[in-house]
Amino acid sequence: MTPLQFEADYAPLWAELDAALTHVEAGRKRWSVSLRKRPAQTAEPPDAARLAALYRAACEHLALARSRAYPVLLTSRLESLTERAHQLIYRRTDYGAARLAQLFLLDFPNAVRAHSRYVLVAGLVFGLPLVLLGLATYFDPGFILTMHDAQTVHSYEQMYGPGAHSIGRDRGADSDWMMFGFYIMNNISIAFKCFASGILLGVGSLFFLAYNGIVAGSLAGYLTARGHGETFYSFVVTHGAFELTAIVLSGAAGLRLGHALLAPGRRTRRAALELAARESAVLVYGVVAMLLIAAGLEAFWSSASWIAPAVKFAAGGVCWVLVIAYLVGQGRARTAAAGAARED
Amino acid sequence: MIPLPAATLDTIFVSETPEGIALQLRPAGVMARSYACLIDALLRFVVIVAAMAVLSAMSRFGMGVFLIVVFALEWFYPVLFELMPGAATPGKRAVGLRVVMDSGLPITPAASLVRNLLRSIDFLPVGYALGLVMLLVRPDFKRLGDLAAGTLVVHGRSAHLDGPLPDAEPAPPARPLSTREQAAIVAWAGRAARLTPERLEELAALAGPITNGAAPGSHTARLAGVAQWLVGRR
Repeated sequence: MTPLQFEADYAPLWAELDAALTHVEAGRKRWSVSLRKRPAQTAEPPDAARLAALYRAACEHLALARSRAYPVLLTSRLESLTERAHQLIYRRTDYGAARLAQLFLLDFPNAVRAHSRYVLVAGLVFGLPLVLLGLATYFDPGFILTMHDAQTVHSYEQMYGPGAHSIGRDRGADSDWMMFGFYIMNNISIAFKCFASGILLGVGSLFFLAYNGIVAGSLAGYLTARGHGETFYSFVVTHGAFELTAIVLSGAAGLRLGHALLAPGRRTRRAALELAARESAVLVYGVVAMLLIAAGLEAFWSSASWIAPAVKFAAGGVCWVLVIAYLVGQGRARTAAAGAARED
Repeated sequence: MIPLPAATLDTIFVSETPEGIALQLRPAGVMARSYACLIDALLRFVVIVAAMAVLSAMSRFGMGVFLIVVFALEWFYPVLFELMPGAATPGKRAVGLRVVMDSGLPITPAASLVRNLLRSIDFLPVGYALGLVMLLVRPDFKRLGDLAAGTLVVHGRSAHLDGPLPDAEPAPPARPLSTREQAAIVAWAGRAARLTPERLEELAALAGPITNGAAPGSHTARLAGVAQWLVGRR
């Protein structure tokens, strides 16, 4: 068969595929460029099965054209056709509320449990400095000056000291919103860096975890020693349930990346890294959601001085129980049922 | 099948689809991506300045919204645009780039998130230095974020070098030709529109044994005739 004959035989199929692709592509772009004039929709929406059949035919023709060294113009035409069809046929369409529900009801808590060893290590790297520095500054408040300068310590003391209008900072009525923005920017950025720097063989995540543990622990110990414990703990207890957990989880996700590079097991380093990134990204989704909740609580609830500390402690306790129960138990039954069904 | 010389000589990244055809992706190098990055940075700067101008009038509430805008622009600007149909930030679109998975498929949300979070590491120690080194040493131009996410930044459209064959009286070659020789002659004819007549003649003269007996200066016409004969015109 000569190239001309080949083209004459199959060109109608290619034209049909081209028209179908153009039709679908125009439909996809409509929402993004609705202001521009839409191309006239002449044909009926293409039948999916027909489109797939045309795509497979074009793939076959491309393989033939390549192996028979047909003119480049012909092969490149088939290449661009198959490439467009490939993009359309294999695109994901399962975005939306159902996917989001599946993420938070199943995938995220499952991912946390699948990474339990990393979560444990991250928790220790964050928690140990927190406790140690907390004790150190509790018994020797002057020790905090090795971590923070006197000015910062003074401003912290003013924020949590007696007579502060609202806790955690000095501010007016509408600064709730300002602080909401600040917490989103600051806390989520820290979590992102904590995750991303894990690719440096895990060192970056370890650093961010330990550093944040040191800062939080020394502050807590110092304020407790100075007698501002109730104000301080009633401030942090509610949003801490989400914020501290999220920092530990982002560190765990980062450690997963670093571990994949250090000990790839039976995969190549690159394949191990790709797998680790794919699986730990689920953790990052959850971390973002938890930090958004934390920022909202911190700005509008934790700092409200009209709420009695006892109420805050109760609410905070409930939040801690809920967060831990969610991470430990959510989706476990459904996952087990799905696993059992697969084994049957 | 004719081995693709491009696969070894060029930076073409070949990925095979389930249908067994090889998609040829053309990863984008340092300069194209730097331009894209620069355009994106300028664009974000303009948005930040505009947001500041508008929101600063709204005191502290405006400040809070402004901080959220800055945060979203820093981390989610690329993610948002990469997940839209064009799969490219405005900067990349202006340069003609888009982001795809290694398989040539549209980028997934997780991959986009990973490659853009790791941007902060590629930025280290200053001004994308690490990312730059990665781009320079790797033939597929992947920075750390691309490696972890399994993504490629590719040129969206390639220049079409080959056109239709020039008209000529079909003529059989003087001797049987191997597949590679046939491919070379047809490819030569396909580029007729882009070469000067002198260069075309020079190249055609190299195929002297095939255009046997052609007078000097008429090699082009004869070889174009052979090309026409090869694609099936009789």
